[in-house]
Amino acid sequence: MSACTPKSLASSGQKPIQEMCHPLGAEEAVLTPSPDVRNITSSIGEKDQILPNGTPVETSSPSSSSSLLNRLQLDDDLDGETRDLFVTVDDPKKHVSTMETYITYRVVTKTTRVEFDLPEYTVRRRYQDFDWLRTKLEDSQPTHLIPPLPEKFVMKGVVDRFSEEFVETRRKALDKFLKRVADHPVLSFNEHLNSFLSAKDLNKRQGLALLSKMGESVKYVTGGYKLRGRPVEFSAMGDYLDMFTQKLGTIDRIAQRIIKEQSEYLAELKEYGPVYTTWAASEAELQGPLEGVASCMANCSIALDELTQDMSGDFLPVLREYVLYIESMKAVLKKRDNVQAEYEAKLEAAALRKEERPTAKVPTDVEKCQDRVECFNADLKSDWDQWQNNKTQDFRQLLTGMADHNIQYYEKCLAAWESVIPVLQDKQPQETETEED
Amino acid sequence: MLSVSCLSALLLHTVCCLYIRFIFWLEILFIVAAPFSPSQIPLYTKCITRLKVILIFYILQGRTLILKDLKSHESLYLVCITQLERRMADAGNKESAPIGGDEFTNTELENNKNNTMVEEGSTLLRRMEISVAEAEKRTGKNTVNMQEIFTVYLIETRPIDAITEGHNPAPDSLWRRYSEFEILRNYLLVTYPFIVVPPLPEKRAEFVWHKLSADNMDPDFVERRRVGLENFLLRVASHSVLSNDKILYHFLTEEHRWKEVVHETGFQAKADSRIKALSATFRVKNPDKRFTEMKLYSDELQSLTSQLLRVRARVADRLYGVYKVHGNYGRVFSEWSALEKEMGDGLQSAGHHMDAYAASVDDMLEEEEHYADQLKEYLFYAEALRAVCRKHELTQYELETASSDLISKKQQREELATGMVRTFSFKGMTNKLFGQETPEQREAKLSLLEEQIVQGEETVTEKTVECEEYVKGAWVDMQRFKEQKDRDLREALIGYAVMQISMCKKGIQVWTNAKDCFHKM
Repeated sequence: MSACTPKSLASSGQKPIQEMCHPLGAEEAVLTPSPDVRNITSSIGEKDQILPNGTPVETSSPSSSSSLLNRLQLDDDLDGETRDLFVTVDDPKKHVSTMETYITYRVVTKTTRVEFDLPEYTVRRRYQDFDWLRTKLEDSQPTHLIPPLPEKFVMKGVVDRFSEEFVETRRKALDKFLKRVADHPVLSFNEHLNSFLSAKDLNKRQGLALLSKMGESVKYVTGGYKLRGRPVEFSAMGDYLDMFTQKLGTIDRIAQRIIKEQSEYLAELKEYGPVYTTWAASEAELQGPLEGVASCMANCSIALDELTQDMSGDFLPVLREYVLYIESMKAVLKKRDNVQAEYEAKLEAAALRKEERPTAKVPTDVEKCQDRVECFNADLKSDWDQWQNNKTQDFRQLLTGMADHNIQYYEKCLAAWESVIPVLQDKQPQETETEED
Repeated sequence: MLSVSCLSALLLHTVCCLYIRFIFWLEILFIVAAPFSPSQIPLYTKCITRLKVILIFYILQGRTLILKDLKSHESLYLVCITQLERRMADAGNKESAPIGGDEFTNTELENNKNNTMVEEGSTLLRRMEISVAEAEKRTGKNTVNMQEIFTVYLIETRPIDAITEGHNPAPDSLWRRYSEFEILRNYLLVTYPFIVVPPLPEKRAEFVWHKLSADNMDPDFVERRRVGLENFLLRVASHSVLSNDKILYHFLTEEHRWKEVVHETGFQAKADSRIKALSATFRVKNPDKRFTEMKLYSDELQSLTSQLLRVRARVADRLYGVYKVHGNYGRVFSEWSALEKEMGDGLQSAGHHMDAYAASVDDMLEEEEHYADQLKEYLFYAEALRAVCRKHELTQYELETASSDLISKKQQREELATGMVRTFSFKGMTNKLFGQETPEQREAKLSLLEEQIVQGEETVTEKTVECEEYVKGAWVDMQRFKEQKDRDLREALIGYAVMQISMCKKGIQVWTNAKDCFHKM
């Protein structure tokens, strides 16, 4: 059984990757789940998918429609009916037991898929469970890009694991993770996801048998095979990921530096306002204006504090998540390289044998390898395209959010200062009296 | 019969005239006594009309009993009218000076009574346009005969009459350096100790935040100093007392002889003793409570403004840091945009906005320096205020010393005269022990004492008058200062708020632009 699709796939032979249909695309009529997804293929004005090396993709594969769908889903839920699996993570709660204290999150699932027994599920899961799910997905779908989880380890002294901000940040990341998995055309049908969403008690020892089955075909940690010719598009992917990680790292550093500078600015500002208050105490007529200025500065300080909190909570975690995402993607790319290397090696060996015994036919394991390579490549390509779209959306959202936070900060400050102008201009009645001295 | 009716008519006439003159005097008093306020112009216009009518009436009535009075009063009335009209015209004109309006205080009122009305009542600024137009570098030899570079400032003056007559003559001008301004101010400080003398801009740049140069040659510093010097001159020239000083006039008009002239006044010696007196410690028993309060206030003002300036500089520093780091976004967005296909354009433009954001802080903080300068002026003003209060304490102390001296001398005389020893004295003891002095010696002593007492009484009288006059003059000027301070600081705060508002608006603009770029990604 091929590792990449739920149904078996006829071997397409040695075709260049561009001309190969996506495995799922070839099975359009056969696959029953969410037929609506497939129907949207050309009705939506999709733009041509361009591979990194510049050649256009012939087929309008479901991958592009699902990625389009993703865009729709993330932008607005107008086409809600086309989705049939909705998951949400919310309601964090603290659990205290004798051994440990931990947080659980409520996972709510709504679905019309036949794979699920019930249309609705509500379960409680903790981070460990999410981690388990991800590992399972990685192992069972090694040719796909699995979305990342928020950071696992937190230094106990540095971060308060139970603080509201930390829990909320984590919840958002977990929610995003599940949503991405649920929207993935292949991963969302994974049985582990199914149990994660529906089982009352996760039996974490379930996957062992499955694991061993898939293990041999996929575990090429030290394959020992040398890669001859990597297709250009995957090299481009690798390069892009390297450079992108760099840029993300720089942005993370800049954002942190800004937060630090803003905190220092805030500290000085908090000292600045009270001086005006002290001065107001010595003055008679200027008391009102000076106190007005002092209270205005206090308001600006509050606004700045909120800005810093928002940036810490919303901006930095998403950046870091993408860095993790990219790391896992690079690992998958590496796996793909190994699979290809193995195939090439076997092919060479078979060719040598063919020279010796021209009558011998191509051994089946070479064919299997070829299948694997082609499968892997196809999966990766489609996931890549989806990832690119997700990435554009995510960063658009992230940066727009950053701009929004700053705009809000300035608007609050503007309101404060504008409201103080009339206080400053207020002419006291005593002024006219002294003139008639 | 005819004589009775004539007499009664005459009487009636006299009474009428007297009554009219009474009203007349009331009007005059009102105009002269009340401070000029532009809002009262309509009233003044009515007054003037009435006065003119009455004057005509008087002229026509040339043959009345009051003719004699008329001759002396007429000129007075005429002068009043002229002055009033001039004041009203001035109030209508835009002032060339941004600060320093006329304050027609009680001091001026007294001056008005003492001198001719036309000369007083209009400060120098009314008659002359003053500005510090430029700054230039010069080299020269200093006091220890070493080469030095210094900056000179161009003072331009122009009589206002010359302008209003239609043509625009070139202003007279001369160059002065900062040290000459200092000499002028020191002269004013000793000559008018009861006045809160406007301060000069700082000698060296203080309360700097790190990007601002602390170098006296820095062009921004020189420019701000130029503005400060102009401000100083305008404040002095619009002060009702200071503006009439001859030395000030020389400073503005005579480039070369001025230094000799000012030194001939002998102010330097007084300046030195003044500095000693300011820092001396003495115990004054009965100072005017208001002055003690003012002194306390001046101390508070000094410490508060300096604290404010210090913190503000730190805040400016931090703000600069925040803005500049955003410039890094510009760079990384530009690099990133090279990697991307769809997002490239949006990122690139957003990066430019981030660069613009980072660059905008320089101008904003330069503008804020103006606010800092306004605060600094009042920091130094506080010093001047304190000096005025101290001077009062000094004069009061001198009075008290003179009084107690006089009292002890009188006591001594009494003792000598009556032979009764009231207070313990060594002389008394020795007298008792070793016999008294001869009558001749006593007589000599007594006459000496009498002389001293007479002198002492003169001194006490002088000092009392000095003290009273000082208190009067100083109190008036301190009130004027207080009003000016309230006005100026209020305006400074408004200016600061306006600056902050503009900064917020710019911030909103930039981030909105960036947001649009992000949207288009």
